[in-house]
Amino acid sequence: MRKPILAILIVVLSVLLSVGVGLAQEPVTLEFWGGWTGPDGTIMQELVDEYNAANPGVQVNLSVQQWSPLFDQFIAAGSAQQAPDIMSMHPQEIAQFVELGLIEPVTELVATSEVYTEDAYLPKAWELQFYNDTMYGLPFDLGVHGVYYNVDLFEAAGIEEFPTNQEEMLEAMRLLTLDADGNHPGDEGFDPENIVQYAINMHTNHHAFYQWYALYNQLGGELLSEDGTQCVMDTDKATQAWQWLQDLVYVHYAAPQGQTDYARDFLTGRTAMLVDGPWQIPAMEAAAEESGFNWATAGYPTIFDEPATWGSGHTFTLPVYGDPDKREAAVDFIEWLGSNSLGWLASGQLPVRHDVIESEGYGELVGRDAFVETLQYQELLPNIPKFNEIFAANAPSPMNVMGQRIILENADIRTEVEAACSAITGILSIP
Amino acid sequence: MAVLPQTARRAAGIKDGARTTARATPYLFVLPYILVFLLFRLGPSLAGLGISLTNWQAVGSPQWVGLRNFEAMLLRDTVFGVALRNTLVFSVITVPVLLVMGLMLALFLNQRMRGRAVGRVAVFTPYVVMSTVVGVVWTWILDKDFGLLNAYTGVATPWLVSERFALAGIILATVWWTVGYNMVLFLAGLQDIPEELYEAARIDGANTVNAFRFVTLPMLAPTMFVVLMLTIINSFQIFDQVYVMTSGGPGTATLTLVQYIYTQSFQYQKFGYGSAIAVVLFLILVVVAIFQTRAYRRGLEGVS
Repeated sequence: MRKPILAILIVVLSVLLSVGVGLAQEPVTLEFWGGWTGPDGTIMQELVDEYNAANPGVQVNLSVQQWSPLFDQFIAAGSAQQAPDIMSMHPQEIAQFVELGLIEPVTELVATSEVYTEDAYLPKAWELQFYNDTMYGLPFDLGVHGVYYNVDLFEAAGIEEFPTNQEEMLEAMRLLTLDADGNHPGDEGFDPENIVQYAINMHTNHHAFYQWYALYNQLGGELLSEDGTQCVMDTDKATQAWQWLQDLVYVHYAAPQGQTDYARDFLTGRTAMLVDGPWQIPAMEAAAEESGFNWATAGYPTIFDEPATWGSGHTFTLPVYGDPDKREAAVDFIEWLGSNSLGWLASGQLPVRHDVIESEGYGELVGRDAFVETLQYQELLPNIPKFNEIFAANAPSPMNVMGQRIILENADIRTEVEAACSAITGILSIP
Repeated sequence: MAVLPQTARRAAGIKDGARTTARATPYLFVLPYILVFLLFRLGPSLAGLGISLTNWQAVGSPQWVGLRNFEAMLLRDTVFGVALRNTLVFSVITVPVLLVMGLMLALFLNQRMRGRAVGRVAVFTPYVVMSTVVGVVWTWILDKDFGLLNAYTGVATPWLVSERFALAGIILATVWWTVGYNMVLFLAGLQDIPEELYEAARIDGANTVNAFRFVTLPMLAPTMFVVLMLTIINSFQIFDQVYVMTSGGPGTATLTLVQYIYTQSFQYQKFGYGSAIAVVLFLILVVVAIFQTRAYRRGLEGVS
């Protein structure tokens, strides 16, 4: 029985010893968490490597996993009073983590920083970082919905200008939708059961309600009361916005029913347009290089009264339970990332700093302008503590349920809108 | 008490020590399991029971709310009802299918024939695959427009993108994934049945059907009980496939109890409420287990 105790002692001692040695000699290590699981993760790792090589006294460890489990882990770490030194998130998620007491204001940092100054950033990017009038996030990029279109298919359909309003959009969609005999919807003999080319994609996941949110804002609709305690959805406007999307599938046959892989369908020519964020740009660039895929981009169309498009972005925050001794090094690293964000644009994400937008390097990139021009119309989902309960991308969030019932099941819109609104008020009324 | 000579006492002492060691040995063998069980099973379960009586966000300290979580769940939460119904429908369909198919595959692959080993491996292999991988693969197989299954059948069934078919898609994937496990358990049970019983039955004039009815089925009863129990418990705990394949959608068509527990706890940070649902799920399973054990005992009495 004595041997195991001895073994345990040795292990414990050696761990203690190595920690001690580590403190004495090793460089400062910073834990940096982010949810970039696509090609953007590789680009972020390259940036981190570049920083590590230039700063031998600091070692940044980038940990990447999907956002949702990443946040689970962030909360679990927080409950053990531990945290990474830098935590990435989307601006609309700030409120949750402030209310959980997990992230700190960046007011002091911004007061002295030469990188994170208000005039260096697009106003939209800056104002999104606040919750209850206090700044918690440092802006890194933004993303909005825009439209990718297949230039060859547009030419074949005889469309010269990208449609800019509802009427033009409907006509373009009619011309871009083809059955096996080359008929368009509305033509005599058009067979909706045998469509070989659709005009546009239709999201069947959470991006359906993201699109709806943009259209609802185009109609000037409000979702939550100002004090954030109840749903104030205007049923008529909400219905009108959904009707546009639902009709694209079930009335105009412009979008496939039950679609699952939007990017694949666009790249194979099954759809002529793709509504999605700028993160699809690298895939388009790769297809253009490999097979000469002929693509271009346009801003999210203004179907109703005022321009509006769904958007989000990436933000850096400083966790409450991060190591206070490493705070200085962490700030230095995020400042470096902020001022070296040109490299990040390869991920497709949109720049938020004036100096980057005006730089030569940005000018050489294709497809971004259409997105950047609409950044001013970006509508983020409300930054509220119960964000997940209402806006999560999975069941049973009322927004996702409403979207899937309307788009996949062709459900009665008014009924679904009213059900979602009362579910949202129910969620908000629980303290 | 008589005074024993020194040597005798020493001898007895040694013998006592040896007996103590002998008695302790089995406990030492199970000690690692017991520790793990206490630390990662029983401990968290009891903690969960406690947490279900609180409001707790994982961060900060829990607030005692008594039975209010249960009250909200059972009286006001319609989504809980939906998740419970989905889980029941899934179990009511999946359990008999897995039981019957597992038994049939076991009977088939228990015969002396060529390719028997290959067949057994082929049926069991899916079970070795990780559930998330199964989910991803079946998402492709069941794709409405480009999926393998619709390509074979020639019908564009909207498997995972309609409320009518989504649960069926999940059931298909689950049966393919887990039926091999039941088959292996049944195979083991079948091989435990002495050959003499079948010989005796044949001499008494039993045909194949009679032999199955009066020898195989009664002799398999203990195995059947175990398989039924495990299958029911696993069915009620369905999560991985749903999480990967549909996230509980479309709408709430495939939202199950465990996914609802996960969502409430980890996504909404309502660990108290999530634990309360878990307690209810636990109680349902306890009731099922009690009924089953009773039925099994009655069945045994019937046989003897």
